[in-house]
Amino acid sequence: MFDILDMGASALTAQRIRMDTIAGNIANINTLRDANGKPNPYRRRFVVFAPGQAENDPRPGVHVKSVQLDQSPLPKRYDPGNPDADKDGYVKYPNVDLSIEFVNALEASRAYEANVTMMDTAKSMFNSSLRLLA
Amino acid sequence: MYLDRLLNQGSVPVLEQLATFTEARQSVLGEDVANISTPGYVQKDMSVDQFQQELAQRVQQADSAAPGSVRFDDISTDIQNPVNGILFHDGNNRSMEQLMSDQAKNALMHNLAIELLRSQYSQLETAIKEGK
Repeated sequence: MFDILDMGASALTAQRIRMDTIAGNIANINTLRDANGKPNPYRRRFVVFAPGQAENDPRPGVHVKSVQLDQSPLPKRYDPGNPDADKDGYVKYPNVDLSIEFVNALEASRAYEANVTMMDTAKSMFNSSLRLLA
Repeated sequence: MYLDRLLNQGSVPVLEQLATFTEARQSVLGEDVANISTPGYVQKDMSVDQFQQELAQRVQQADSAAPGSVRFDDISTDIQNPVNGILFHDGNNRSMEQLMSDQAKNALMHNLAIELLRSQYSQLETAIKEGK
């Protein structure tokens, strides 16, 4: 029965990585250049979950299979004074939408709470079973 | 032999089965909650109705059979994929409300089984100690 706790832990880790990714998206909402300083607007990242505690661990649970880049078109804004503007004066901005990120963050935090609840319930069940001995 | 008969009569084996079933179901529900955001994941569950029907049948059989002759430990506890709730675009049929209420009911059922077992054992203890 202790596998419920491992399962919960795998889900907590997965949801935390999801939350980290969302935080990274929000932090980079105005990032127009890459780490080398070249003009390359940030692309939104998102996690893809898969069942199983890890890629090669089929025990019940969940893991982050990959972090992918959102390939949707980057929105353009008219800003002719910007050094990164194209010849028509448009600058490409990251395809991060704050409302999408907030909704996802809320979902991740609720899922995290639900998993904590499951672990708490499992713990109280262990405890009551153990009390049979006393 | 005698001790086995003593511990395996009355409601003790039934309560043991209930505790085992609820423990196993908690694992299955835990897996569903862990995979609440996994694309393509189909929710799993164990049928409480089916389990209770089989258990009731065995209890009825046990009433008219010799003590300890009806077995309770081979009741099927298959994992099923009940089709309920909405199928989302990512192929997952999650329902957080349903899951959380199921797990609360399941935990209460488990605690009930354990409390009843405790009282059975304490009665046995009283009898062994000759009521002292």
